[in-house]
Amino acid sequence: MKNADFVDRLSLAEMGENRCGTVAQIEGDSRFISRIVSIGLTPGSAFTLLKNDKLSPVLVFCRDTVIAVNHKESSQIFVKVES
Amino acid sequence: MSEIKTIALLGQPNSGKSTLFNNLTGLHQRVGNWPGKTVEQAEGEFVFDGTTYKVIDLPGSYGLSANSEEEVVTRDYIQSGKADLVCILVDASQLERSLYMLADFVGIRLPVMLVLNMMDVAEAAGKKIDVAAIEKRLGVPVLGFSAAETERYPEFFKKMVSAIKTPVCLDSGSLREELVGGGELAEKTDNLISRIEAALGDFEYGVCEKIWIAEKLLEKDKLICGVVNEMLPFAHKNAIDAILDSEEGRDGGMLTGEAKYRWVSKIVRELATPKSIEKVFSKWDRIATHHIKGKFFAFGIMVVSLIACMILAFPGMGIGFGMQPVLQSLVERVGGALGVWPVVISFINLVLVGGTCITICMTSFIFAIIFVFRILEEIGYMARFSYAFDNWLSRLGLQGKAIMPLFSGIGCTAGAVCGTRVLDTRGQRLLALVLLWAIPCGSKVAVVLFLASTFFGSAAPLFGIGYVALIFASFYLSSRLFGKKLVPQNERVGMIMELPPYHKPHWKMIAAMVGRSTWGIFKKALKMILVVAALFWALSYAGDGNVENTLLYKIGNAIEPVTMFFGMRWELFVSYLGGMFSKEASLGIMSTLFNHTGEAFSLVTRVAASENLGEALASTISKPEALAFLFASMFNVPCVLAMGTTYREAGSFKWLATIMGYYLAISLGLAFIGYHIGLLIF
Ligand SMILES: Nc1nc2c(ncn2[C@@H]2O[C@H](COP(=O)(O)OP(=O)(O)OP(=O)(O)O)[C@@H](O)[C@H]2O)c(=O)[nH]1
Ligand SMILES: [Mg+2]
Repeated sequence: MKNADFVDRLSLAEMGENRCGTVAQIEGDSRFISRIVSIGLTPGSAFTLLKNDKLSPVLVFCRDTVIAVNHKESSQIFVKVES
Repeated sequence: MSEIKTIALLGQPNSGKSTLFNNLTGLHQRVGNWPGKTVEQAEGEFVFDGTTYKVIDLPGSYGLSANSEEEVVTRDYIQSGKADLVCILVDASQLERSLYMLADFVGIRLPVMLVLNMMDVAEAAGKKIDVAAIEKRLGVPVLGFSAAETERYPEFFKKMVSAIKTPVCLDSGSLREELVGGGELAEKTDNLISRIEAALGDFEYGVCEKIWIAEKLLEKDKLICGVVNEMLPFAHKNAIDAILDSEEGRDGGMLTGEAKYRWVSKIVRELATPKSIEKVFSKWDRIATHHIKGKFFAFGIMVVSLIACMILAFPGMGIGFGMQPVLQSLVERVGGALGVWPVVISFINLVLVGGTCITICMTSFIFAIIFVFRILEEIGYMARFSYAFDNWLSRLGLQGKAIMPLFSGIGCTAGAVCGTRVLDTRGQRLLALVLLWAIPCGSKVAVVLFLASTFFGSAAPLFGIGYVALIFASFYLSSRLFGKKLVPQNERVGMIMELPPYHKPHWKMIAAMVGRSTWGIFKKALKMILVVAALFWALSYAGDGNVENTLLYKIGNAIEPVTMFFGMRWELFVSYLGGMFSKEASLGIMSTLFNHTGEAFSLVTRVAASENLGEALASTISKPEALAFLFASMFNVPCVLAMGTTYREAGSFKWLATIMGYYLAISLGLAFIGYHIGLLIF
């Protein structure tokens, strides 16, 4: 957990597959935030990254749900990665 | 004495509202396993124990924020306070996310009942939920349920009746605690919420508590901000603006969201077990969502579905085709024996019998397509499908979700047009409509393949490939011409979507739905085809069986000089126009006009068409003309039904006219090019 804090501002788009993490911060306009929050990604939510191949939307498993987030949008979501 | 009670069905997309609605009211709202099908609110009624209940099926919405049109519909209805009971549906197999709707509902003073739907799916995924404990915790009626299983409805009625008899609202106390105390961000939220509540003073707004208004203000909800702006005294307004503009205020949406989810987690994590991750993301899913394999997988599924369609359509086609000659000769013999006028026999055979048989053939194909799509949709594959194609579609200015209407366009353009409503913005919807018109429906494919193989024999597959290439080229053109304007770069929103868990198909539900839609389409198609066939019969009837004595011949000849410019003699041009009505009409007209046997003179002689129309065409029409007509047919306007639905979806005549004009230009332009190139080669 310690070195997790050192990984500075890693975005969801840059995270590796099959890793677990928590959402640290979400950036964007209120419309985007409202969409992302209501689908279940909020600061502090723990998730597992299922898929990230740069070519299709990122897939995360969070709150019982598999969620697909487009690449551009996923780079606005910053995370803490568990090691 | 009867009294009407109103029940609103509220819940996140894909939680089973329409399934419940349909089973309660006997109506037929669209259901399927992907989010965002219901886009307009629907109303129905049922009677239980002498009381009439009005049920409202609301569009799915992740929360009560009003961002998209559907969300506005849902929110407006809830705020209108018309409901005697709001039945909140959540997907038990995705309990934690799904309950967010409930959290967002806290602070609305309307009686609620919580339905944990899809208990069967949750159990299959190894999830255990303590329904009674949740009920106790929330203080409102809670029911574990499976809307798709009709045996379970007595439980629903029991709960519903008692929920209406003793109405209870959600208590906002426990959520307030989360908004105010606990959590990393709590300190900030506390200040914000109580400061806004103070600034709101004695502001009142319908069924909404102040805490709810404060949350929505923090979430920058446009409608609520507007209302507050309008109704609040100036000083208060300024105070609120100042809070919202402060540093913490700007992150308000995140703070409230976090608190609401914390509230949900506390319930869920204590009272239900989580799903296992292997069950969530299977090996199949890894393939279906892979950026290369996923696309192959999708194409594979498409091919298999189309083959399945043909097999399924076969019996119906056989009946339609087989019946026609038998019935027609019967009519002739009986009519002849009774001494009925030839004109009557001609009418019966060519309009009534022919029309009915053709309708049976057409509908059997539509039946097959609806059936196969239904299964794919119910299982939950459609959502994976749109995921796999998101990156391609985003290049056109659309997003993955658009694959569903576009793909179903191969089945039926008119139906697919209605499906474009799943898209988020009007611009995207219009762009999808434009693209959709280029995608050939089953009948168009049949016509094009028929023409290609008639005229060019073994070279027909080349035309197939060329056609696909042209369709993609037209996509490029359309996204160039319309994309920039309809979906400006800065408005392009990427995919944010849940992939629903796979469901086992409910065969009974599917069969009922498919049977009903097919029957509905059959009736509509029959009427339309009979009317047109009759009209055409009148235009083209000549007592002596000589084409030159028909009205159609005279009109056609008058316009031929113009149409020859595009390489189409009048017979072909009339067929082209008929193609705007329906693809079958196009073939029917051709067989009428080219089989110069008075006998086969009708819009509906498709039997004759497939047998000797080919020969007749190949012997009369030159290769360049054939090229022209083939190209014209490829991008012809889909059909009347598609025009009708497009007009409805686009909401403006101007757009329908624009899209029609665009495709007329493409198809006639291609015809012109094809004809003149053809003249050079052949
Ligand atoms: N296994 C199972 N499937 C269900 C149940 N209830 C609904 N479904 C299926 O879940 C899917 C979604 O149901 P819908 O009724 O279309 O959901 P909705 O809430 O109206 O969705 P939107 O209109 O998109 O907001 C469909 O495929 C249904 O057949 C259930 O209790 N058990
Ligand atoms: Mg629905």
